[in-house]
Amino acid sequence: MQRREFFKKLGSAAAITAVIPMMSFAADAKKQAGPNEFSYEKALDVITGGKGAKASPKVSLKAPAIAENGAVVPITVEVESPMTESDYVKAIHIFATKNSNSRSASVHLTPANGKAIFAARIKLGSTQDVIALAEMSDGTFLTATQSVKVTIGGCG
Amino acid sequence: MHIAAIFGLGVVGSGCAPLKTPSQISLKDIYEFNAKGNFTLLHMCDIHAHIKPLYWREPSTLISAPNLVGTPGFLCGEAFAKHYGLEPSSLNAYFDTYMDFETLAKKFGKMGGIAHMKTYLDHVRAERGAENVLFLDSGDTWQGTGVALKTRGEAIVKAQNYLGVDVMVGHWEFTYGKERVLELIEMLDAKFISQNVIGNDPFKDEYEELIFEPYTIQEKGGAKIGIIGQSFPFTSTANPKEFTEGWSFGIRPESLQKYVDELRNEHKVDCVVVLSHDGFSVDQEVARMVHGIDFILSGHTHDPSPKPIIINGTVIVIAGSHGKYIGRLDIDAKDGKVNGYEYKLVPMASNMIPADPAGVKLVDELYAPFAEEFNEVLGKTKNTLYKRDTFFSTFDQLINDAIMDEMKCDISFTPGYRWGTTVLAGDDIIMDNVYEMCGITYPDVYTFELKGKRIATLLEDIADNVFNANPLYQQGGDMSRLGGVTYSIAVANKAGERISKLMIGGKPIDLDKTYIVSSWGGNLQNAGENLQKDKIRAVYDVTRDYIKRKKIVDVSNEGNVTLVDFDCGCPVKGSRSCE
Repeated sequence: MQRREFFKKLGSAAAITAVIPMMSFAADAKKQAGPNEFSYEKALDVITGGKGAKASPKVSLKAPAIAENGAVVPITVEVESPMTESDYVKAIHIFATKNSNSRSASVHLTPANGKAIFAARIKLGSTQDVIALAEMSDGTFLTATQSVKVTIGGCG
Repeated sequence: MHIAAIFGLGVVGSGCAPLKTPSQISLKDIYEFNAKGNFTLLHMCDIHAHIKPLYWREPSTLISAPNLVGTPGFLCGEAFAKHYGLEPSSLNAYFDTYMDFETLAKKFGKMGGIAHMKTYLDHVRAERGAENVLFLDSGDTWQGTGVALKTRGEAIVKAQNYLGVDVMVGHWEFTYGKERVLELIEMLDAKFISQNVIGNDPFKDEYEELIFEPYTIQEKGGAKIGIIGQSFPFTSTANPKEFTEGWSFGIRPESLQKYVDELRNEHKVDCVVVLSHDGFSVDQEVARMVHGIDFILSGHTHDPSPKPIIINGTVIVIAGSHGKYIGRLDIDAKDGKVNGYEYKLVPMASNMIPADPAGVKLVDELYAPFAEEFNEVLGKTKNTLYKRDTFFSTFDQLINDAIMDEMKCDISFTPGYRWGTTVLAGDDIIMDNVYEMCGITYPDVYTFELKGKRIATLLEDIADNVFNANPLYQQGGDMSRLGGVTYSIAVANKAGERISKLMIGGKPIDLDKTYIVSSWGGNLQNAGENLQKDKIRAVYDVTRDYIKRKKIVDVSNEGNVTLVDFDCGCPVKGSRSCE
């Protein structure tokens, strides 16, 4: 029961935190640059101050290989860290690389969080890579990537 | 694990015994088995509600990405016979391949049927002692025939109770809807287990909780056997979402690993089995991701696999489809480990395995209320009508012809399911056959408009579900069947670039033009516009009326798809041809 309550809270917290980009199949046809256009490369550049990030097994990103519903794709990010004053995860950013606004969420953490774990549901406009970017207290940036397929449905 | 198996290739060519001609094959050859160990798992998968014997022709085209072609899960015809060392024209060649099918069908007769399966199951139970035998069912059991549809699955649950199924998982089961699934499980003697079905409605108590028990522990022959359930991971994308609203599926390898460890470390089982509906190729990936599974009893992709395959010490078996086979797996396990096993895929040849009278009686009772409708002769077929193959099969073409004739559409989409039936050339087509091809709980044919551009994108999307080089991104079906359309396909090309020379009604596709499209059995109508509501009708009614109008149907096996990068339908491993 405790676990269930925890997940319920986590679920509602995620719904508030997640920045859900607006995109649909229809938007594909008349795609034009708008104020919300923000590519992954550009976002990465801004967040890391041009330093870039490297893939690391310390970041675990759980996402389905095939989305059951592209409008609400459940993802969970966990970063291995002692979460002490001297060594902790400062932030976790989630990107959907092919969405118009590729940033889905940014979550800021402190050592008081105890554990660097975050779950949310994000919207994916098409089949694409989802990237979790962890900002570490030592100024380094670590990533994990998972390709998620968004399809109208296959065969039986 | 120590592998000491002598693979039962069945009746012929298994080593020292002299080869037997088909007419010399006896019941003894079918039953022959080098019994081993302390317990037996009997396995069936994907019988698709075929409680009566049927004809079922295996595919003559089974193409996938080049890295997968010619490997178990993507083998057919000549390549299959070569891989498993089948004798031409043998009983096994008849069951496992399309080769010489019409001739061998006359010689060996129909396949499967619960009355014949029961005789075999009871033979093994008597030989091993019933207390040392478990019968496991990988699902796709409740759907696929008229009698299943009309009784909303109940007739098949009765058949399972009669056969003595102990444990099952599901896929098409879910198309009766959540409430009905739970009702049927109440009637079922077997346990229904799944570690990968989880509540996903945050406003329900079952949010993030298991819907079914994830595993069961059974004691047989002095061994503790842990069986973990894995239902079809893509149920909510392959079938309409509304049937399982609030339930989430997925492969969930992390929790599968957790249950494997729990069974081994806490419950100290002697053997870990995963009863799965993932599909043969996906289960090979599961064996790479999850450690400590002794056996995966797979299903979904309908592969008859005479030999198990072994990945990272995990032995994977799959037992074909439509009740054609029972897999017999004898296991020697004690003190927390498996010491050896023996496997044979046993063909349910209904001409040779006697029917159990109680089974015949049960089938008659279950069919009686519908006999008049099901036995109506609608017409005759000039050529063999079959289902399967990667791009085209004759019974699907007949359904597309029926839809185009009634709906006056430019294009018709029929889904690439792998279940159905076979009607031999010259035979009558009865209404039961039509239900065997399209008896589903969402049978409506929708007619709507789609832009040329959208059609082209959708086809590429569907192609990627079938031909993705990574089995985890496939959904285990065949390519949708298209009426009114021809195209070329280069399977090895990357996603979005496989299809060329797309022609509609004999003319190159106009990307800006709006076409009238009819489809059933999928979600395609959700992508369309201007749905013609007055035309909506069940596909089995459309097909029945068409066959009655035609009286004799003549569908050629020409096909409407040109395969650019393979020379034949059943290529061998590492090759683009059959050589």
